[in-house]
Formats: sequence, structure tokens, C-alpha cells
Amino acid sequence: MPHELETRVLLDHAEDPRLRTLDGYKDLVGGYATQERAYKEIEQDEVLKELEDSGLRGRGGAGFSMGKKASFLPRGEMAKYLCCNADESEPGAFKDRELMQRNPHQLIEGIAIAALAADAGHAFIFIRGEYDEQADILDAAVAEAYEAGYLGENILGTHRDLELVVHRGAGAYICGEETALLDALEGKRGNPRLKPPFPAVQGLYGGPTLINNVETLSNVPRIVAKGAQWFRGFGTDQSPGTKVVSVSGGVRRPGNYEVELGIPTRDLIYGLAGGPLPGREIKAFYPGGSSSPVLTAEEGMDLPYSFEAMAEAGSMLGSGSIIVADDTVSIPLMALRTARFYHHESCGKCAPCREGTNWTVKMLERVVRGEATPMDLDIISSVQDNIMGHCLCVLGDSMAMPVAAMVRKFRPEFEQVMAAAAGMVEPHLVVDAPPETLGASV
Amino acid sequence: MSDSPRTVTITVDGREIECPEGQLLHDAAREGDVEIPVFCYEPKLGEPVGACRMCLVEIEGIPKLQTSCSTPVRDGMVVHTRTEQVKHAQNAVVEFLLVNHPLDCPVCDKGGECPLQDVTQGWGPGKSRVIDEKRHFEKPIELSPLVAIDRERCILCYRCVRFSQEISEDAQLQLLDRGDRTYVGTFDERPYVSPFHGNITDICPVGALTNYTYRFRARPWDIEQGGTVCTLCPSQCNVSLTIRDEKVKRVLTRDNHDVDDGWICDKGRYGFEMFEAEERVAAPRAKGGDELKWEDAIEKAAAGLRAAGPGKVAAIVGDASNEEAFLVQELLRGVLGSPHLDSRAYRGPDRDIALELAQPELSAKVKDIDSADAILVLGTDPLHSSPILDLRVRKAIRRNGARLVVATERPTALDGGAEAIARYAPGEARHFIGELTKAIGGEDTVATPLAETLRDAGKVVVLWGQRIDHDSGSASTLLVELAKRLDLAATEGAGLLEIPDFTNARGLREAGVLPDAGPGLSETTTGYSVEQIRSALESGDLSGVILFGVDPLRDFPDTIAWETALTAADFVVSFSMHENATTAKANVVLPLETHAEKDGTLTHPDGRLQRIRPAASRPEGVRSNIQVLGELSAALGQTTTVTNQPAAFEALTKGVAFYNGITDEDLGGLGFRWQDGHSAASLPQPRFGDRSVSEARAADVSEGLLLGTYRDIWAGPATELNPPLRFLQPKQRLELSEADAERLHLKTGYEVRVSQGDQHVDALVQIKDRVPEGVCFLSEGIPDANANALLNGGPVRVTVSQPERIEV
Repeated sequence: MPHELETRVLLDHAEDPRLRTLDGYKDLVGGYATQERAYKEIEQDEVLKELEDSGLRGRGGAGFSMGKKASFLPRGEMAKYLCCNADESEPGAFKDRELMQRNPHQLIEGIAIAALAADAGHAFIFIRGEYDEQADILDAAVAEAYEAGYLGENILGTHRDLELVVHRGAGAYICGEETALLDALEGKRGNPRLKPPFPAVQGLYGGPTLINNVETLSNVPRIVAKGAQWFRGFGTDQSPGTKVVSVSGGVRRPGNYEVELGIPTRDLIYGLAGGPLPGREIKAFYPGGSSSPVLTAEEGMDLPYSFEAMAEAGSMLGSGSIIVADDTVSIPLMALRTARFYHHESCGKCAPCREGTNWTVKMLERVVRGEATPMDLDIISSVQDNIMGHCLCVLGDSMAMPVAAMVRKFRPEFEQVMAAAAGMVEPHLVVDAPPETLGASV
Repeated sequence: MSDSPRTVTITVDGREIECPEGQLLHDAAREGDVEIPVFCYEPKLGEPVGACRMCLVEIEGIPKLQTSCSTPVRDGMVVHTRTEQVKHAQNAVVEFLLVNHPLDCPVCDKGGECPLQDVTQGWGPGKSRVIDEKRHFEKPIELSPLVAIDRERCILCYRCVRFSQEISEDAQLQLLDRGDRTYVGTFDERPYVSPFHGNITDICPVGALTNYTYRFRARPWDIEQGGTVCTLCPSQCNVSLTIRDEKVKRVLTRDNHDVDDGWICDKGRYGFEMFEAEERVAAPRAKGGDELKWEDAIEKAAAGLRAAGPGKVAAIVGDASNEEAFLVQELLRGVLGSPHLDSRAYRGPDRDIALELAQPELSAKVKDIDSADAILVLGTDPLHSSPILDLRVRKAIRRNGARLVVATERPTALDGGAEAIARYAPGEARHFIGELTKAIGGEDTVATPLAETLRDAGKVVVLWGQRIDHDSGSASTLLVELAKRLDLAATEGAGLLEIPDFTNARGLREAGVLPDAGPGLSETTTGYSVEQIRSALESGDLSGVILFGVDPLRDFPDTIAWETALTAADFVVSFSMHENATTAKANVVLPLETHAEKDGTLTHPDGRLQRIRPAASRPEGVRSNIQVLGELSAALGQTTTVTNQPAAFEALTKGVAFYNGITDEDLGGLGFRWQDGHSAASLPQPRFGDRSVSEARAADVSEGLLLGTYRDIWAGPATELNPPLRFLQPKQRLELSEADAERLHLKTGYEVRVSQGDQHVDALVQIKDRVPEGVCFLSEGIPDANANALLNGGPVRVTVSQPERIEV
């Protein structure tokens, strides 16, 4: 049973395994009725208007208005595309996995309706390679939808066509960046493209392309069914709707919780996720995945969980993934771990990200080894500052923002760790192997 | 033009700059004298990638800094490149680039001419904060036998990879791994093989890609650069020679958008060690090898030519400047009283056709390829015969969407980008052009698929090879008809562009080295053409011959006949850069200057006069060719004042009516098309004859395979005389179709003997799927297995046998 603090919309009937099937989706939540109505009765502009009026903001991280994004696509005869970004790879984020696993048809129906809004004839779900089970589920659901005539040629006798392909990624975090996703989908190395041109104008195979996150698209059927005003009945003025929030880290009940946007963060962390483990205290948390600047418990716990409140606090809601660090967590190690992730995943195309992530990792390693001085902390901060806003895509910033926040907010802890390690080097932290020779033939 | 973008005004650092709307901000700023530092951006490489982030600037109204390399200008745009915010970004990017750069400048070949050094100096933070370990790679390693890669120095700017992907389109260079572990490499660490790959050393902004031919040879402060023109093929690319101690140490590109687009091929880049080769004719010599003093050599040559008798001497000119060619024809026609001279390896079209094809409105410029709607490649494979035009055609397709059709005997490197391809049998070029012309006119012929693309295509550029004349000597006659059908004369940006056999073929023709045309293609007494000269030498009708920069025993068809002719000749004077089979037969051998040493002009196949400037010093025993020709003339009793380049250039521009008034200043550094000069109208008008489209020919049913030949880009002295290029020396390969191979029980790699009459050539079998049945191909110019030995002036059929079946 849902917790009283939850508002189940997307996860309505989520526990029922029948929801996964087309029949179950129809019976339990009246699925595909909206698509049928939209395809038969509603014009493209009306769908667009409904989406724009709803104020639905992208659930993938950037929080950009979905309707507005769809309206950027030029009209005309050219081939247009819709891509569903299911490459959910941000540390701390696992809500799309649950949405696809439990209710794949909701996503497919959302894609079908969004394709109508974007006038796209081809749609792709780019799902991260590790989501093997979810991809299988989607494959099965897509096959059912084709069979039932909700996809393919002449859908429901409306002379509209939509091809939907589930494409499995090969495991690079960068492919969740929308333009890298397009390159990967085209069979190239998944590297971000220069913007502009934005995908809405020139995306997949050079055609106008609408790219949306799984959760964003999953919201579409109900918005079109019940109207923008119904949707705006949830959440806040600037963050309407519900949000599936992944809570992980040092909490008693980690998991996905669907809540109205704007509820107190404390309700999420304590009410739903059960608060810290016995005897521990919460020190800080990432409010929106590992790329969001960490907030200390004092700063963040009583903020409303909304796009605007998080932005005002100097952080971001991102994909809506809270990672909680309790008092046993070493912030310098958390910073290093975060930096290592982005260093490992940096594609290497632009200099600030490629070199900035690498340099930051090396400096943080020196910090935890005790081979750094407080001046190095200044350099680390300055390097994060040098990365921010200078990169080709947001991956560099995704490391710079949390690392900069950690160094700024927990400087005494960094200095303490540095001093302690300098006094007593912890052997398993020392990286004293000879420098690796890359690309050597032998 | 109506579709050209409007001019807008932008402000960069307070400076108002007028530029076309949509131009990239970086370029607009540069034209307005504001330098914005870049690494990855290089307009030659096409679309910007915005990877290095060096060119970030502040644009009013946009909160985030923008990459100027990728931002198109808008009217009223206000840009700042020197604010605190921009400086902060510039310092940051330079610092990042140096995080992993070894800073081994003192031992780096790029040191002193390194963009990374320059940008660090100009826009860097000025101090280093990096104390961490840098990344390590094995270094340097061979990217190819000619280019070394030092991956530690690489700043991952993408330039070399983009060159490989988007310019030479070989797709061999890739970025492997990711993040700061990224490195440039090839699949499975195979060597990078491409005839253009040396260009990556020019565009590399650091010392990561260096030429083995130049590593540790010089520092920037002990070299000089000399701009000249490469004469190794008709592309006539503009190059800059790096000179140390008066010797050429390196060849760099010298961007000339009208000629080479800023690229050169590897033959031009690495083909400079031949200037110092052992085989170089470094002093005059007599037959048998005795070195002669210059005075004696001139006297001996003059005596021999005099003894041959008036009108009994012929001349064949090959590798020569316009001035040299002009002086040779003066010497022959004026001093020796002989009309027998030619500048072709095969008989060619008559003067009227030459005149028609030279009409300015019919001729296309190299730059026209860029904007062509359709391109017809006819009877030539640019990769082999004019490599840089291969890149140009690729660029037109890639960036401008030009439609390509290819009609050749042999499969070409451009086939992959062609909409329609026709393979005609060797010797059938004339017939095919006729069929194509008819097809464009609406008839249904074998050439219809090509005609579909070309008909009403708009601007059509026809790249045609002089080779189409090899068999019939008259295929080019039909080009005039074809041009009419395509309406080339009336279409701006359309036209014919010849790819000749010799570098300066057009210049030699226009300077008067033709049997039936004098300087400026003027009317003259008709003499013998090249094949007639050969027969006349053999029959004794002619007794002496001057060979200027030609090696008939390698480059001309029917080697045996030439050998007989040169043996029969009473007196042979050979002007040559290097010793070869022909110089061995000469009574007097006189050394020639190389294009690094001589002063003169060339005429590009599109009519552009280009200046060769002396950059390196001549070997001690070598004199200015012009001076030598003057002295020879004087020794033959005709004192001339033309003994230096300025005088020779003046004589040339006076002698060639449509060169009249062209000055050295007109030529400048980038050349000048005579069609754009005041005297262009002085080109004589051709007499229009009846050139009806040819009749259909009956199929040849005789035995054996029809032999087609081509000249491999690497078959020639430039490969053999340059040690770094020797590994590219081609083996003779018999290319044939799968079906023929099966019939003859041959497989790729088999050693076979290819015979025609009593001549034969040994080759390795190469089955190629795009070779039509019944035809086979061999390359000309390969020592000891030269296809020219099998040719006899007409279509040739050959038989193929395996050695074990021959040997008893």
C-alpha cells in the first residue's frame, strides 16, 4: 500500500504485475484510451497546447518545459524523430527503471501521443545496456502494442504511422546526454555534439528530434486524458505534477517514492525513506543525483522539494534522486568517489571536462593520502570554477558542481582528513603503482 | 549574386567589423584584425566541432560564453574577447590543455613554431599549478613509416582525426578510449596508409605528429621558408620549402584555395630527398659517363646538333617551365630550323581542337569543382593522376552535395561517391563520349544512366584525363560536342578541366611545343608529332633529338620502338634531373634544375600561371636551365639576350599572344589565370570542322584480354629516388575480373607473365571486383615490368600465363 505521503499517479497500481501487459494496462488504468482519442479526435496543436499548459518539466535533469521543447520542432514534410532517453545512469537515479519495469505501456502510450505532438514518424527508446530486464520487458510490450495496432502503420485506422524501436546502449554514461545519445543511436561513438543546432532543429539523422526522459513521457497520457488543469492540481506553480523520487544512501527504506512536487524534503527523507539508520545522523545529501551540489542537512532538510526551491538553495532537483550521507560518511572520500565517476565517464572531447575531471581526481587523491596542503583545496575549488560553464556539454559541470560545493561547505573536514592522513597514511588509500602506460602495444 | 548573404556589422572589442551574415564569428573577427585563439578550429577541415573550448567569447545578450568558431554572426552582435570573464576562460582552457602536456619543448620539433606555445604565451595564465603525474604513453611510435606519433604531446584537438574522416575520407584515424585516456590511433594499431596522410603533420597544433624525414633535423631559428610550386604532378600544389643550409629539409602546404585548398599529397611532401639523390645529374657528361666542363658540353651538344643537319633535329619536352619550353621551341624552330617538336607521350588532337578546348568560356577553374552541381570524371582517376583533385571532388560531394558520375576504363578511387559509373573498354573513350553525348541529347544508349544525372544538372564540371586520347588520339575531339550538349560555355561555374599526363602540359602547349602550333597556339609549319618523331629517328629521316625532361624509355608507350629509335639516332641530347634509361643512351647529358632550384612559371591545367621560385641552391655543376639554353643557342650561332628568367618571362609573355601584358606582379604568390587577363581574347579562333558523333563499333571478338593501362601514383622516380618513399614502390599487378581469373585458373597473388607479341611483363595477379570481364590492367612506369613495353599505339590484347607453364 502506498504511504500516506505518496501521491501515486505514474506508479498507480504499480504493485500489480498485470500492469505490465497490454490487457492489464487497459483494465487497471484504462490504458491506450487516450492514445485512441488523441489519434482520432485531437489535432497536433491541441496536444501541444495541453502539454505546454500543464507546465510539465523534463524529468531527466534539466527541468525544461516539455511542451515548449516539443513546440520548437519545425513543421514540414521532413522526417522527424522522437527519442525516449532511458539511459538512466546518474548515480542515485533509478526511477525510470521502475517505471519501465512496472508500467511499460504507459511509456509507449506517452511516446505515441508525444509523437503526434511532434509529428514524428519514428521513435526510439534508448535504454542503457545494463537495464537488460527492463529492455526485455519493453521489447515484449512494444511487440504487444504493434500487435494491437497502437504502433506501426495506419495506427487505429487513422493513417498515421509510428515505428518504435527499443535500442540498448553499450554502457556509457555520456550517452544519456541527448546529443551523444543521438550519435550513439546513429551508430557512431557517443560523443556530445555542438549546440546549436539543437536537436529540435537538427537531431537524429539531421532531422528535427524531440528527446524526452522516460518519466516525462510517462506523464503524457494522463495530461492529455485529464487536462492541464488536473495536472497543475499537483505540485507547485513552477513545479507542477508528481515526481518519482529515488532515495538512497544512509536511510532505512531506500527506494522510489512518488510524491507531489513541493512537499518538504524532510517528508521524503524521514517520512518515506525512514530517516537515518539507528544511531546515525544525516550530514548532507545530494538533492538531485550525484551531479547536484550537496546540501547540508541544516540547509536542505526543510526546503520544499521543488525545482525552484532547490535552485534557490544553490543546488538543483535534477532527475529527482536523493542520496543521503550520514555522519559516518567522509565527505572528502565522497568527493573523490564522485569525481572518479565523472572522470571515468568523461568522453574526452572537450578540454575542460577531460582534463578537469582527471586533475580533480588526482588532487583529491592527494588530499585523502595526506599529500596536499590547504592551498590545494583552493586549487581544487578554482579548477571546479574553471570547468563550470566552459564545457561542450554538462558532464564537466556535473562533477564541478558537487565537488565545489563539498569543498566549500566541508572545508574543515577536508583539512582534517588531509592532516590526519599525513600523520598516518592509510595503506589501502595509497595509489603508488607506477604510472600506467596507455595504448602500449605490448 | 542575389543569393549571397547580406553584409552586417558586428562589434568585436569595440571595433566595428563588416562581414557577411552567418559567417563564423572567429573568421569575421580575424578579418577585422581581432585574433581569437583556437586549437580544434581549422576552416579547411569543414564544420567546427567546438571541442577545445579555446575560442570562448562573451556575446552581449547571451549569459554563457560561446565558442566563436561555431557561432554565426548576426547584425549588431556585440562581442568581447578580452573581458575578465573571457580571460578567465582562456586561462582555464590553456591550463587544462597543459595538465597532461609534457612541456618537453626543448626537445620537441614543434618548439618555436608551435601554436600551443603561442597560445600559452598569449592567452595562458602564465604560471603552472599542476604538480601531479602526467599521462604516459609509449613514444614516439610509428603511425606510419613516415609519421611519428607522440601521444603524450597530443592535446586531442581532433584535427588529424577529422582530416582522416572528412578530407581524405579514409576513416583510418580514430580517437580510441575516452576521457583523458583518449588517444589517436588506428584500428588494431595498423599503419595509417593514405597518399595524403602527411597533411596531419601540418595541421597538428603541437608536436604530436611529426615527419620522420624532419625529426631533429632543424630548429625553427635555423631554417628559412621558400614559397614555390610542386611540379611532381599536374595539380601544381603550392608549397613552402623549409631550407636549412641551402638544402630542402621539409615541404609544407602553402594554402591556395584556387589550386590546392591547402593540402598536398605525400609524393609532394616527402619527394624532396631526390634533389640530393645519388642518381642526380650533377654535372654535364658525355656518353659513357665522362664528366664534361660546361663549355665543352655546350660545344659538344652544338656540334652534334649542327652535324645532324638543318631540319633534321626534333625535340620532345616534358618536365619544363613555360620559359624553358618557349626557349626550346625557339631553339628548334628559330635556330635549328626544324618544326618537329612535341610535348606529349601519345599523338594528340590537332591544333583546332586544342584551340577549342582552350576557349576561356569552356574551361573550368579548380574552384568551380566546389560549387558544381554535377561532376563528370572522364577517363582519369584523379587519385593517381592529380591527387589533390580527388580531395576536391570529395569535398564537393560532402559539403556541397555535388552529384558525381564516373566514366573510366579502370575502377577509380571516387567510384564510392558516384551516382552512376560507366566502364568502357580500353581504347573506347571516343566511342563512349559519343554515346554519352547522344544520351544527354535524349537518345537511349549505354551512357544513359550517366546522362540522367548530367542532363539539366546545372553547373557541370567535367574532369577529363588527357589519357582519353591515348589510343585514338581523337577522343578529346568529341569533348567539344559534349560540352555543347551540357551547355558548358554558357553556364557560369561550369566547364572542362583537363588532367594532363605531364605537370605542365598546358604551359608547354601554350608555349608552342606542339608539332602544329607555335607559341600561343599560333599557326605554324606542321612538323612531326611524337610518334612520327620516333619513326623518323628509326628510319633515319631525323638524325638528332633533344629530350628535355622526358624519359621515353619509361614514360612513353612502345618501349622497344623507342629504344630502337634512340639507338638509331645519330645524336641525342638529354636534359635530365636524374640518370635514367634514356640518359644512358644520350650523347650529351645536361643537368636540369629541380623545382626547388629553378625560377620560372608554370601554367596550371585551368590556365593559372604560377611562379616557381628558387628556394634551395643548385649542386655546383648545375646551371640555370635558361642560361644553358641561351648558351646552346649562342653556340649554334644565334646570340640571344634571353639568358635569365626575367628576360625569358618577357619573351614568353610577348610570344604567347594571350599571355601579353601579364606581369610578375600579377602572378604574385597565388598565380593568375590568363583567362582573366586583358589579352585573353587574343587566343586564336579555331576553324570549326565537322565533328559528328562517332559511329558504333563492332565488338572485338579476338582472343586474350584487352589491356588497359594507368599510371600508379607511386610508379615513378619520385618514389624510387626518395628513400623515405621507397616502401611505397608498387609491384606490377595484373588487375582482372573474378570471372576471367576463374577461367584462367588464377588467384590473387599468383605470379603471371603477361604477353603481347614477343613482349612480356611479369606481374602479380590482383582480382578486383569492379574490373569488367574481358579487360585487364597494368600500371605504366614500373621498372622492369613496365606496361608501356606492351603498348603499340592501339588497343592491345594480352595473354596471361603462369611461369611454370612457360619454363620447360
